Amino acid sequence: MLFSKPLAGIIIVLALVLTQGCVVTRGTIGEPLQEEAISAIKKGTTTMAEVVSLIGAPDRIVRGNDREIFHYYYYDGKSPAMLLLLLNFIRMDIKSDNLYVFFNRNGIAEEVVYGKRTGRTQFRLWPFGD
Amino acid sequence: MTNVAVRCHSIRLVVVTLCILLCAGCSVRRVVFNEVVTSEQVNFIRIGQTTMLELAEHIGAPDEVTESEFGVVALYNWGDTKSAALDFGALARLVLPYAPTMTLNKTGITPEQFQVVFDPQWTVRAYGFSRRTTDEPVVWFWPF
Repeated sequence: MLFSKPLAGIIIVLALVLTQGCVVTRGTIGEPLQEEAISAIKKGTTTMAEVVSLIGAPDRIVRGNDREIFHYYYYDGKSPAMLLLLLNFIRMDIKSDNLYVFFNRNGIAEEVVYGKRTGRTQFRLWPFGD
Repeated sequence: MTNVAVRCHSIRLVVVTLCILLCAGCSVRRVVFNEVVTSEQVNFIRIGQTTMLELAEHIGAPDEVTESEFGVVALYNWGDTKSAALDFGALARLVLPYAPTMTLNKTGITPEQFQVVFDPQWTVRAYGFSRRTTDEPVVWFWPF
């Protein structure tokens, strides 16, 4: 036998003691933006319909400077928590990715602005510091 | 047992009891949304010259683009919500089947924003930060 009974018991009790009160939560809004699809948008040639077929319908349509702007977003939140008998630590880290496709008056993509922050979302329990 | 050994044992007991009392019912919560945009990060912006693309290359894509009567506005949002509570009833959980709730709690929600207004040529017309808050301590439960 690999482990004797007392040793196995100690390991199980230790594992339970060390992990009791631990909560790990993850929440997302929307779907992650596919970078291959974003790079397939060609300024001056890709149409509005092609953008929709590549990435899907936008989450928001904004009108600015007499132009249509498609806004796609994705949110990712990670939250570890330690809920002990007398002491609780909970921290949540949320970041967002945003993609904007600016169209000219003929419905052709004029500019693409993309920012990805969710890659830096972390499971950080310690609530102090930066 | 010698006098020194008894004294060491008592001190250890007092320290452990103090630690338990200090942590008892203490709850610290923090929610961090996006990364802070600092004034140093936006030093490069030149009114009438910097474009939206250049802005996105430096500080990422905005969280929101909206139209105002002054032009298109790009909004960068972030926040650091801190909440701490002290439950004086928590100690009772160690000895009583019922734990009374006697909690002091303080939560500080600080949404912050960096706003950039663009002219019709998509160059920066104006920019500024929302009301900046001073850094509050993470653990501050006194609500009064």
